[in-house]
This record gives sequence, C-alpha cells and structure tokens, in this order.
Amino acid sequence: MTPALWKSAANALLEANLQLTRGSFTLDVQLSLAPGEVLALLGPNGSGKSTVLDLLAGLAAPDHGTVTIDGAVLTAPGRFVAPERRAIGLLGQDPLLFPHLSARSNVAFALCVGEAQLSAAQARKEADRWLDRVGLNGFGGSKPAALSGGQQQRVALARALAAGPRVLLLDEPMAALDAETAPFMRQLIREQLAETGTSAIIVTHDIVDAVVLADRVAVLHDGALIDEGTTAAVLAAPRNPFVAALAGVNLVVGSVQNGAVAAPDGRIFHVRPADAAALTPASSGTPASASAITLGGADQNVPAAAVFRPASVVVQTEQPRHASPRNVWSARVTGIEPGSGGVRLRTSGDPEVIAELTPAAVADLGLQLGSTVWLSVKATEVSAFRR
Amino acid sequence: MIPRLLYVPASIGLALLVLPLAGLLLKVDWPSLPALLLSPEALQPLGLSLATASVSTVLCLLLGVPLAVVIARSRPRLAGVLRALVTVPLVLPPLVGGIALLSLLGRNGVLGNTLELAGLRIPFTTTAVVIAQTFVALPFLVIAVEGALRTAGVRYERVAATLGAHRGTVFARITLPLVGPGLLAGTVLSFARALGEFGATALFAGNQAGVTRTMPLAIYTAFNGSGVTTDQAVALSLLLIAVAVIILVLVGTRRASVLS
Repeated sequence: MTPALWKSAANALLEANLQLTRGSFTLDVQLSLAPGEVLALLGPNGSGKSTVLDLLAGLAAPDHGTVTIDGAVLTAPGRFVAPERRAIGLLGQDPLLFPHLSARSNVAFALCVGEAQLSAAQARKEADRWLDRVGLNGFGGSKPAALSGGQQQRVALARALAAGPRVLLLDEPMAALDAETAPFMRQLIREQLAETGTSAIIVTHDIVDAVVLADRVAVLHDGALIDEGTTAAVLAAPRNPFVAALAGVNLVVGSVQNGAVAAPDGRIFHVRPADAAALTPASSGTPASASAITLGGADQNVPAAAVFRPASVVVQTEQPRHASPRNVWSARVTGIEPGSGGVRLRTSGDPEVIAELTPAAVADLGLQLGSTVWLSVKATEVSAFRR
Repeated sequence: MIPRLLYVPASIGLALLVLPLAGLLLKVDWPSLPALLLSPEALQPLGLSLATASVSTVLCLLLGVPLAVVIARSRPRLAGVLRALVTVPLVLPPLVGGIALLSLLGRNGVLGNTLELAGLRIPFTTTAVVIAQTFVALPFLVIAVEGALRTAGVRYERVAATLGAHRGTVFARITLPLVGPGLLAGTVLSFARALGEFGATALFAGNQAGVTRTMPLAIYTAFNGSGVTTDQAVALSLLLIAVAVIILVLVGTRRASVLS
C-alpha cells in the first residue's frame, strides 16, 4: 500500500492492487492494463485467476486494495462501485445466454442497458449487425437452446462487446468448446477485440490463447504474480515450471501457405484439419463456421504459427515412407541434452526443432552431434493459428 | 427399471386418492343437480370464494415474491431462519391459524384492540376471509418461488450486471422470467389452497352467508344442516372439484404452450 506501488505506467487504463485471504489461500496481485492492450493471465488451476477477474468486475470485494479505471476509483477502502456501473464485461467458458431470450434479444439487452443505451427498436437493428459480425446472420430469432455450443459462445461474445465495456474480461472462453470450434472462436475473439479496440484480460492455461490473443503475459501462481512481460519474452525464458511446461513446445512462426504454415526456411508444416480450416480463406473452410469469420481473403502472406510437442517428433536415420499426412524433413543434430521426459534432441533449421526421445532410442539410432536425421510429425499433432 | 414390488403400494396410493372422488360422483343425484347448482345457496358462495381466493392470490404474489427473493439471496443462516418462519403456517393446523389470527386481530387481540378504537373491525368480515386465505396460502408461493430462485442461481444476474443492467432491470427482465415456471406453480398452489381454506376462515371470519360463507363453509353448512340427505353438500363439492380441475387444465395448456 506504499505510494511507490502506484507509480505504474502513466497511460494505464486499468490498475489493480488486490489482496484477499480465504482460508489458506492468499491472493496478492498488482496489475495494470494499457488502452487497447490484451493481457493473458496464465496459471495452473487454483492459482486465483478467476478470483482476480471477479474482483476486477466487482462481483467480489478484496480484503484490501484498489481498482481504478481511467483514473476513476472503482474499488478502494470505503468505496465499492457496483458491477453494473463499472463497464467491465465478462465472458466465461459458459456462454450464459439468457435462456428465455432469442439470440437477437440477448444482444439487444446489452445494447439497451449498456453504454449505448439504445431504444428497443434501435437495439434490435443493432443486435442483428452484431450477430452478423460474429457470423450468425439469420440466427437472430433462435433461442439459445437451439444453438450449438460454439454458436452460443459467439452470441455471448457479441453481447459482451455490444455492451461497450472499457475492459473485457475473458475467463477461459474456449475451454468448453470442442477442438473443431475452438480455433474459430479464438480467431473471432482476436479480430473483434482488434476491430473494437477493446482492452482485455484473458485467463487461460492454453499457451495458444496467450500467443494468439495477448500482447503481454502475466503468470499467476498460488495467488501471486511470478512472471510478467511480453508474450515472447516470457515464453523464451520461462521462470517457473508451469510456464516451462507450457513453453516447452516447438513454435514455428511463419506464414500461411495453402492451409499450412511455412517456416522462414521454407519448410511446410501441415496442420490439424480443424486448424487448417481456420488458416484457410473463408470460402474454402467449413461452411457454417468458417464463413463466419473474415480471414483476410486469399492473402497468402498472413503471419501464422504452428505448435507441436517435442514428444510428437519421430526421429529416424533413414528417409521414412508413409502414406499418412506427415511433415517429413531432414536436419542435423545440433544438441543432445537431458529433458523432463527423456533426452531432448535439438535439430538444425529456422526455427530449430526439438525432439524428445528415450535414452535407449538415442543409443539405438547412434545419434551424435552433427548426425543427419529424418524428422517427421503427424499433421494431426500440429496445431496452428493466425497471428 | 422400476422394481415390480413398487407397483403394489403405488396402486394402493393412487386408489386412495381417486376412489373417494369416484365415490362422490356415484353419490351425485344427477337429475336434481342443475337446480342445486344454480340455486343462490350454491352461486353465492362460489362467487365469494372465487373473488376472495383471487384477491388472496394477488396479495400472495405481491408479498410472497419479494419475500422469496430476500430469502433466496440471504446468507445461508439467515435464509434458514426465514424459511423456517415461513413454513410454520404450512405445518400448522388451519384451526390454530384461525385462533392465532383472532389473538392478533380479534376484538381483544393485540392489534385488534387498537384497530377497534380506530373504528376498524376485521374479524367476521370479508377482509378476514382474505387475510385467513392469504395466511395459509402465502407459504406455498414463497417456497415454490424461493426454490426456483435458488435453482436458477445468480449466474445470469451477474452476467446481466456486467453488461450494465441495474438491479431493477435485472429483476424484471432476467430473474422473474427465469423463475416463470416456479412462479406459475406457486400461484396455482396458493390459489387452490385459498379456494379450499376452511379452518382459519371458520374461526376468524365466521360463517355468514354472503359475507364470509365461502364454498368450503357452504359445504360444511349443507352437510351439517341436511339431516337425512347430503345432496346439497355433494353438489357443492362437485362444483369445487370442477373449478379446481378447470384451473389445472388451463394452467397445463398454458405451460405446454410456453414450453413449445
């Protein structure tokens, strides 16, 4: 509570200093958010991520601490602004659409009661435009129960943004979606946050969410922030096992090429069908969901990234012949080091790829520094996203 | 997947509920029924019953829904105490309720004394009928709505708040529609309870034709005064059953149309 704590970035939109004790759990977190910034709050289950969001949204009060937005004090000793007066939105993993209202009325509700304060007739018209933005043109009359989980979550996103929040809090918004739907939702959140210029905090334990959506990452562990910085910096030098486990993946940053990801050195990484659809321009994707999202037309130089686990990389000394869709390439061994699940093999390329295999396999293959090896990864093991 | 043994007590239970009503139907003197039902002795209590039960039900809604909200959103311990207090009239014999109402609002009652001095007399008036009916019917509404509110939870209300909706708006546009089925069930239950109310009314409101003689009291009067024949009592009972069935059917179709 010393004044020094408050000398954070002058341009901060949201600043919070939160202390809370519940039983044996203690939360002590300071964080700030710049206008238009997206912060990913990473952490294992039980680290207090959702509690932080509740405290920011005014759904719970801290024991001590303050929350300010644009200089206005929302939470402070002796002051507590009710959630409906904070203009802080919340989108959780459960869409929580009002079950008695149609999709259109759900969004219109936010337009009537939110920042816009539209009349009922205006709100209905505007709600249809929002549904169109999330690719649900023509679904306005549907009751939530008639929509799929992914569609419901898109309505919930439209509703949350239509309220005009100064900050949108996202609590694992992809967690309840299946692997086919999640990439589209992620892409949609990214686009809509950018289009509306909405500042956001996203709670997640999926590294892909952080890489795709966030400018900055904060890592929460046992109620305290243990690491913070730009997404790239935190992942490049993880400071705790949780982040290391998250970051211990092969990340290929490149560009979209025919539904695959091209690495800087020209290697092509074929990816899971669901993710490939999200990479591909709208016309050729899955009809209902892909048409929903404007993916930038036929632009082939769209930045994208592929992610796969070191354990998914198969190492051989002969060129493999497989019928199944695989990524196969040859490389030189540039490093052999102990890893958490066996031996980590560093291989040449831009970027370098790490393979993980058992010590016995290393011996069997007779691998040494400088050996030439054939590496392969099943396309189904590679997830991908546009950046 | 029902154990076969369960069918035996289930059948006996159903028979216990249905056979007396069937017996009643067998006792009806059908030729004289129209005349009995259209007589002032039948129509007057019916009108009074429908009117007082309707007013009581409206009172139950106006007082019971807010009470249910307060209980459902209270801390667990306070909610437990409030819920117990609301349940007492439900488990109390209605006669005791009548005595309790008299002790409070009767001529020598704690509050009745004061009211009497102010020129206001409640016992043995139509107002007393409404108060007695509300007293016994209110717990049904509160408990039905409170249960629905707790099942619905606060998650939708919290989302509505983060969208910027003020409490009044959330209550009217989210909370009430969400508990719609519970509200409907509670309303029907309290109306039925008010319509059938006898004990508390008899003690607190008396049995004056046209003023406090509702259907149950008229049935009792007919049954007691009939001597050899109970035709009038049976006919009035049939009328009351018919009213109850009509209400259940109306509510049933409404509910079906809401769901579809």
